[in-house]
Amino acid sequence: MGARTPRLTFAHENYIVVFMADLLGNFEQAVLLSVLRLGDEAYGRAILNEVQARLDRDVAAGAVHATLKRLESKGLLKTALGPGTEVRAGRPRRYYKLSLSGQRSLNDARAAANNLWRGFRWPLKGHA
Amino acid sequence: MISAMPPRWAETLLRLVLDSRDRADVSGDLLEEFRDGILPARGPSAANRWYVRQVVGFVIRSNALPALLFGGAFVTRTGLDWLVPPADFHVRSLISTLVAGSILLVSGFLASGRSGSTLAGTFAGATTAALAAAVSTIGALGLLAVWHDPATLQAIEGSGGLGEVLLLPVLLIVPGLLLGTIGGIAGAVVHRVARRIA
Repeated sequence: MGARTPRLTFAHENYIVVFMADLLGNFEQAVLLSVLRLGDEAYGRAILNEVQARLDRDVAAGAVHATLKRLESKGLLKTALGPGTEVRAGRPRRYYKLSLSGQRSLNDARAAANNLWRGFRWPLKGHA
Repeated sequence: MISAMPPRWAETLLRLVLDSRDRADVSGDLLEEFRDGILPARGPSAANRWYVRQVVGFVIRSNALPALLFGGAFVTRTGLDWLVPPADFHVRSLISTLVAGSILLVSGFLASGRSGSTLAGTFAGATTAALAAAVSTIGALGLLAVWHDPATLQAIEGSGGLGEVLLLPVLLIVPGLLLGTIGGIAGAVVHRVARRIA
């Protein structure tokens, strides 16, 4: 499991500024949250369908696969192979699990979004 | 439904572009979704089209970086020839040939190194060249749209003409096959040695 760079924060007029480069993108968050939601059933196909449901659009299997690999190489996900089934022609399933770093990254992403929105009412009205 | 198979050629291409580590589980995921999700909902033709679309996505993703580098290098060379024409094209030709050859070799090497199959290198070389041809064509037409004054048009003619700029990238698919295969042989050997050591 790879260690993440410590989050650098500094106070500035009641806002916490987080280095955005260290934060997860929206698609990465969707994939990690799908893994979290699926629990013990988080394998490739199930994650693809969950991400599509969360984003409410068609998503390419290659995009999800590339993101899973990237998150795994960053140490945010752990994987293990499971047995195949008849419908898969016996090919194994790769199950994904959130690592501690992954959990921390999701918490950071949520905290950063909350900080950005602090002081505003959602949905925005009367600002344009 | 449980025995239905997607197009065999598409499965073969998928296996060529996947890492040896991911080959079984990713192809299994696609097969499961094809048989269990798409086929019952959309029928055989649409399911086949869905499967091919997914495979094309994997192919483009796995060759996007070398194709962009190759295409970018070609467009840069074209731009230089049009806007800063040299008296002698020899040095530029030598540099661009070396750059293009290196990209195709490395592309084949990396693809075979990942998958362990020499054929993956051949396919990566050809795909990189084909995608780069699309990038080069779009880039060259973009340059022409911006710079089409008489001096530039004269420089285009002097550097081989527009036909060469548009045709050459397509012709490079053949050397792409060859160089991808050479890189692929080296990559497959490294893959086997690395597995033996591990």
